[in-house]
Amino acid sequence: MYYVLNLLVYGAVDAMACLGLSQQFGIAGVTNFGFIIFQAAGAYAAAILSLPPDSANGGFQSYLGGWSLPFPIPWIGAAVAGALLALPFTFLVGRRLRGDFAAVGLLVTAVLVNLLVTDYRPFLNGDAGLAIVPSPLQGELNPGSTGYQWAYAAVVIALAGGVYWFVRRITESPYGRTLRAMRDNDRVADSLGKNLLSLRTAMLVTGGAIAGLSGGVLVGFINTWSPAAWTYAETIVLFAAVIIGGAGNHRGAVLGAVLVPLAFEEGSRFIPNSQNLPPNLIPSLQWVAIGLLIVAFLWFRPQGVLPERKRVIAMPGKAAASASTPAAVPGRAPPSAGQGVGVSVGQGDGVSAGQGARAHGAVLQAVDLSRDFGGVHAVSGVSLAVRPGTLTGLIGPNGAGKSTLLALLAGTDRPSAGKILYQGNDITGLPAYRRARIGLIRTFQLASEFKRLTVMENLLTAAPGHRGDSLRGAVAGRRYWRGDEAAMITRAEAILRRFGLTDLANSYAGDLSGGQRRLVEIMRALMTEPAVLLLDEPMAGVHPELARRIGMALTGLCREGMTILMVEHELAIMDEFCDPVVVMAEGSVLAQGTMAELRERTEVVEAYLVG
Amino acid sequence: MSIFLASVGFGLITSAVLAIAAIGFTLQFGVTDVLNLAFAAVMTAGAYVAYWVNVSGFSVWIGLLVAMAACSLLSVLLNVVVYTPFQRRGSSPITLVIVSLGMALIIEFGIEAKVGGIDVSYTMGQGRTFRVGGLILTTVQLVIIGISLVVMAGVHVLLKYSRLGKAMRATAANRTLARNCGIRTSRVITLTWALTGAMCGLAGTVFAIDIGSFGPTSPDLFLVLILAAVFLGGPGHAYGAMLGALLIGIATEVSAAFIAPDYKYVVAFVALLAMLAIRPAGLLGARA
Amino acid sequence: MSAELALRGASMRADGVTAGYGGDPVIHAVSVRAEPREVVSIVGPNGSGKSTLLKSLVGVLHVSAGTVMIGDRDVTNLPPEEVARAGVGYVPQVDDVFAPLTVRENLEMGGYLLPRTQVSAHIEQVMAVFPRLGSMLGRPAGKLSGGERKMLAMGRVLMLEPAVFLLDEPTASLAPAIARSLLDEHVRRLAEGGATVLIVEQRARAVLAISDRTYVLGGGRLQLEGTPAKLSASPDFVRSFLGGGGQSIPSGGA
Repeated sequence: MYYVLNLLVYGAVDAMACLGLSQQFGIAGVTNFGFIIFQAAGAYAAAILSLPPDSANGGFQSYLGGWSLPFPIPWIGAAVAGALLALPFTFLVGRRLRGDFAAVGLLVTAVLVNLLVTDYRPFLNGDAGLAIVPSPLQGELNPGSTGYQWAYAAVVIALAGGVYWFVRRITESPYGRTLRAMRDNDRVADSLGKNLLSLRTAMLVTGGAIAGLSGGVLVGFINTWSPAAWTYAETIVLFAAVIIGGAGNHRGAVLGAVLVPLAFEEGSRFIPNSQNLPPNLIPSLQWVAIGLLIVAFLWFRPQGVLPERKRVIAMPGKAAASASTPAAVPGRAPPSAGQGVGVSVGQGDGVSAGQGARAHGAVLQAVDLSRDFGGVHAVSGVSLAVRPGTLTGLIGPNGAGKSTLLALLAGTDRPSAGKILYQGNDITGLPAYRRARIGLIRTFQLASEFKRLTVMENLLTAAPGHRGDSLRGAVAGRRYWRGDEAAMITRAEAILRRFGLTDLANSYAGDLSGGQRRLVEIMRALMTEPAVLLLDEPMAGVHPELARRIGMALTGLCREGMTILMVEHELAIMDEFCDPVVVMAEGSVLAQGTMAELRERTEVVEAYLVG
Repeated sequence: MSIFLASVGFGLITSAVLAIAAIGFTLQFGVTDVLNLAFAAVMTAGAYVAYWVNVSGFSVWIGLLVAMAACSLLSVLLNVVVYTPFQRRGSSPITLVIVSLGMALIIEFGIEAKVGGIDVSYTMGQGRTFRVGGLILTTVQLVIIGISLVVMAGVHVLLKYSRLGKAMRATAANRTLARNCGIRTSRVITLTWALTGAMCGLAGTVFAIDIGSFGPTSPDLFLVLILAAVFLGGPGHAYGAMLGALLIGIATEVSAAFIAPDYKYVVAFVALLAMLAIRPAGLLGARA
Repeated sequence: MSAELALRGASMRADGVTAGYGGDPVIHAVSVRAEPREVVSIVGPNGSGKSTLLKSLVGVLHVSAGTVMIGDRDVTNLPPEEVARAGVGYVPQVDDVFAPLTVRENLEMGGYLLPRTQVSAHIEQVMAVFPRLGSMLGRPAGKLSGGERKMLAMGRVLMLEPAVFLLDEPTASLAPAIARSLLDEHVRRLAEGGATVLIVEQRARAVLAISDRTYVLGGGRLQLEGTPAKLSASPDFVRSFLGGGGQSIPSGGA
C-alpha cells in the first residue's frame, strides 16, 4: 500500500516537473540545464516556511527562517521561490547568447548551487539537508494514517492536473504559438516584433514556479530534503523524460514522467538488491541507461513517443469561399483605402478614387541617405520618393546597395547620414519594431518561415495586437481571445486565398517548396496590414509561374492602396508589374522610370554590363 | 611563508592541470564544432586506466601513457560512432550538447558501475620538497607543471609550424575553404579527436595525481573550471585557454586561501557567467 | 611585375551539368569548356546560376546529372579536397580567405599539399606576382582591403600552381579601377602563364575585354556563347542582361 502511494506521489511530482520543462524546452526552446535547482528552491522554501526555528529542535540542524507557517503557505512559498530564482538567470537566455552556450551556463549554475548549499551548513543545513519537515496540516491530521496519505496523493495528482491545465492553456493560446515560433527561429520572431527577452523570462519564471511547487509538494510528503536529491544529473533525467515522451507534447511529458523517473528511479527502489552485487551497481547502471535512452531516442525517434501534434485550424470561410468575402477587419494602414488591405478578395472597387487623392505626395522618402561600412560607401547620398499605391521596383547589379537601402528604410540598419520620412514624419531614429507598428514592414532575403508551425500558424503569429498573444491573455483563456483569433483567421484566410495557398493552410511550413516558403513570408508581412511593404528579392528561386502569381497578387494589393517597394533581379517581373523602377549602382540612384524607358538609357545598360 | 604565496603555488599546479584540459577542450570545440560535455567523463576514464595500470604493478607514469592512448581511442570512437552521425544529419548544436551530456552519463556511471563508489589513489612517491622563492613544491608537482609547459609549448609548435596544426587551424577557421586547399578535413577532425583525447587522458591522470584520491565523479566539478577557462579565453582559442587556465587556476586557489576553501569554485563560476553575459567570444576572441 | 609564370594547364569540360541546393535544380544541363592558355568567362545577371555552376564544378555542390572532366580525369562529385588535388584552384566569391590567419599563413594553407621545402619558394613566387602582398605578410587576412584580400585569395590558389583556375566574381565589391587592374594584370596573366582560367563575372564589359570566349547564363541555362567581339555586337547580349524586346543596343562606352 505504501508502495502504491509512493509511486502515485512521486509520479505526480515528476509529471509536474516534466510539464514545466516541456513548456520551457519543448515549446519555447529554452534549454534549461539548471531546471532541478528550481525544484530544489521550492522544496527548501516549503521546508523553512513550515519548520519551526532551528533552535527549537535542539540545534541538530541549522537553517534560515523556520517560521512554522501553516499550510498552504509553504506550498505557495515554494512556487514563489522557484519563480524568483528564475529572475537572475534571464540575462543568460536573452537574445544575444547562443542557445548551447546559455545551456552550459545553466548547467554550471546547477552544479555550483548544489556545491554551495552542500558546503555551507548554516544556510540550509549543508550536506545533511533538512529533516523532519512538517507535513501539511500535521497538527490537525495524522500524516501517518493511510487516509491522510491517500488524500495527499489525490491532492498532488489534482495539482499535477492543474499544472497540465495551465501549461496547456498557455501552449494552445496565440502566446504559445509565439513561443513555438521563437523556438523555430528566434531571429525572425524578433523581427516580427516579439520580445524574446520577455518571452524567455516568462518561460523561466513560470517553469520555475512549477518546478518550485513540485519541490514543495514533494518535501511535504517525504519530510526531508538534501543536496543529494537534486544533483545536476537529476535535470538530465527530466530531460530524458521529456525527450522520450515527446518534446512539445504535454501528454508526452506526463508519459515521459511515468516512464523515466518513476519507472527507473522509484520503481527500482523496490527491487530487492541482490546480496552479491556491489551496492552502487544498480543506481550506476540506471544512469547509464538514462544516458543511452537520451542518445538512442535523439537518434531513432527525436520526436519522442508522442510527437508534437499539428495544430489544424478550421477555416470558417473555406466552404463559402466563392460566395462572398468575409467581413472586413478595419485596416489601419491606408487611411483612405477603405476596406482592410489583406481581407477583401474582390477587385478593390471604390479604392482608386481614394488612391488618386493621395497620389501626389510620397508615403516613404529617403533624403540624402548614406551608409558606410568601414570606409566603403554601400549607400551614398540616395534620395528617393516612393509614391503611395505604387509597386516600385529597385534593381541594380550586385553590390549596388539595394539590400542596404532596404535595411535603412526598414530600420534594421542605421544610416550614417541622411533622413527618412514616412507619411511626412521623420522616422530616421525609430527602431525597426516601432516602424513596423506604424505600418512599415520588410521581408528578408533568406527563407524565414517557422518550420514546425503550419502555414496558417505562420500567418497568425504575425498578427499584431492579438489579445491572446501575451502571458496574461493566454492565462485569461480562450474566451478572452477567441474573438481576435477568429478575426485573424478570417484575415489570414483571405490572404491565403489571394495567393492561392488555401489548400496548404494546415501544412507545416517546413514541408513547402522554396517558392511557397517565400510566399509564406510575404503573406506573414501582410497580416500586419502594412501601409508600406519592403520586399527583398521575393521571387528569388521561385518558379516563374509562381513568380507571376506573386506579381499579380502584389499589383492587386497596390490597387487597393498599399505601397510596395521591391528589390528584385528578375527583370521580366519588373517589366510586367513594376512602375516605376529605380536603378541603383555603386550606392547611388542612377535612374528611374519604366523598364522600357530604362533600357533606352546608356548609363543603365552600362551599369549592368560594366558593373 | 605567507598564505598568499602558498596559495599561488597551489594555483600554479591547478592552472597547470587545467591548462592541459582546457586546451584539449577548446581545440576539440574549435576544430570539430562539438561542445563535448563528456570531456570530464573521458578524463575520469583516463584516471582509472592509469590506476589499473598502476595497481598491476607499473609506475603511474607508465599508466599515464596508457591512459593517453586509451582516451585518444575513446574520443575517436565517440566522434565516429556518436557525434559525426548526428552532425551529418544536421542536428542543431543544442541537440549535440544534450547528446554529449548523455555520453557523459554513460561513461561516468559506466565506470562507477565497474569500480563502485569508493575513492582510490595511485601508489607513488611525492619526491623531494623544494622551496622556490617562498613557494613549496614537491617533485611531483614540479613534474606536473613541467608536463603542462611541455603541452603548451607542444601545442604552440603544433599549431604554428606543423602541417597537421595548420590544417587544424584552417579547418577551424573555414572548413569549406580548407577543403578547397586540398585539406582532407574529415581526417583532420579524426586526428584532432585523437590528439585532444590524449590530452584529456593526460589531464585526467595528472588531475588524479594532484588531488591525491579520486572517485568516478571527481572530475565533475573540474568541468566547471575547464568551461570557465575556455570561455574566459574564448571558445576555440588555444592561447585563450592557456590564459584562462592561468587566471582561473590562481584565482580559485587564492580565493580558497582567503575566503574559504569550499568556495573556490565560485570565482570560476562568476567568471564564466560574466563572460557568457558580457563577452561570449572571450578575452582573446575576435567577435563581440 | 615581370614575374614569369610557368603553369601547366589542363582542359576543363563540363557536360550537361545539372545542380542545385537540394530542392529544384538551379542550373540545368549546362556545358562549358576551357583550354590551357584561355580565359573563358561566364557572365549573366544576378541569380542566373553562375556561382552555382562553379560550386558544382569544384565539388561543393552535388551534381545530379552531367560530368565534369579535368584533362582525362572524371572529377564529377569528388569531394572538394580531391578536386583541389586534381589541379583545380577555386576562389569563392565570399569567405575566400582564412580571416583569422595572417597573409603568410593563408599562403601556407594554400600550399598545404606542397613538400615542406618548397613552400617558401612558392610564397616568393606568389609575392612576385602580387607584390603588394609582400609588405603585409604578418597581417591578419581579415584586416586587408577588398582588393588586397582578393589578391591574397588568388595568391593562395596560385601556391599549388593549379592547372585550372576557377574564379567566382573576383571583382565583386571592388572599386572599378581596382577591378579592372585585377582582371587585366592578374587574371589575364594566369592564362598567359599557361593555366586554364574559367571566370564568372558580373562586370560583363570588363571581363569580355580579357576573355577568349564567353558564355552567357540566364535562368540557370546557357543562353549564348561566343567570342567577345561576336557577343558585343549581338542585340541578344544586352537583352540577356536587361530583358525586354528587340530594342536597339545603346552604344557602349567600354
